[in-house]
Amino acid sequence: MLRVIRVSGESLFPSYQNGDFVIVSKIPYFFARPRHGDVVILKHQQYGELIKIVDGSRTHGDDIFVVGMHPNSIDSRAFGPVRRNDILGKVIWHIKKPKK
Amino acid sequence: MVYRILEAFDKMFGLEQARAHCDVPCGIYDPIKAQIAALTVVRMVDLLNDKLENHGNDNGSQPDAEFINSVARYVAVKEEHAEECKHEIRVIMGDYLKEAHYQEYPELAGLVLNIMQLGSKSRQTADRETAVALVEAVNRFAEIFWATKGVETKRATAPYAPSLETVYPVL
Repeated sequence: MLRVIRVSGESLFPSYQNGDFVIVSKIPYFFARPRHGDVVILKHQQYGELIKIVDGSRTHGDDIFVVGMHPNSIDSRAFGPVRRNDILGKVIWHIKKPKK
Repeated sequence: MVYRILEAFDKMFGLEQARAHCDVPCGIYDPIKAQIAALTVVRMVDLLNDKLENHGNDNGSQPDAEFINSVARYVAVKEEHAEECKHEIRVIMGDYLKEAHYQEYPELAGLVLNIMQLGSKSRQTADRETAVALVEAVNRFAEIFWATKGVETKRATAPYAPSLETVYPVL
């Protein structure tokens, strides 16, 4: 039900940084679709497990459009929408890396 | 506190990772490789035609090993660079160009398709007109690419054969 995942990369910088941890749960999506602004973990065939933000304005039905914050983020603008079944869960807790 | 516990747990047991993925190397894109590849295609067609012309003058219609070797090499390099040109454009299209770019430059989608078709035709044939059209299409792509980055471009004759007009960024 809960997974602990470490963030690797900078496509959600500055909100999520390399080395942050997130607690992810599938439960919020048992009865509801991913909503605009949700931060989700998804499984992509080519890129593996990714952390992205749901763009509700470009989401249609079970085709979920996900984006990063970085201009060069690899996301739905490059690989198209993902299927709802590919969403592994919603980030319900973000544990930031402490500033040195 | 929570972070330190998770960090220690991660070091001991290795937690799952989710990539906030950017392309690597992040942000390094340049159409110049596609432009050089397209110019190389024209150069190979020219060398091929020169070789055939000289061969006709020197040896009649009888091909020798040296002739066959040269022609095979020109064709192989033409094939390789036409494909490289298509590959480089596909990388920029897939990893750099976004929906907003296609909206700002409505010709972009058709231009990329045209480059793919001209690249394929350049492999299938030794038609100089097609190869030159490939150079020009990639030049236009380069102009749009640099415009998306707010970089001015200029057109100048490439300082090497086949001495065709080429688009360069003004940096």
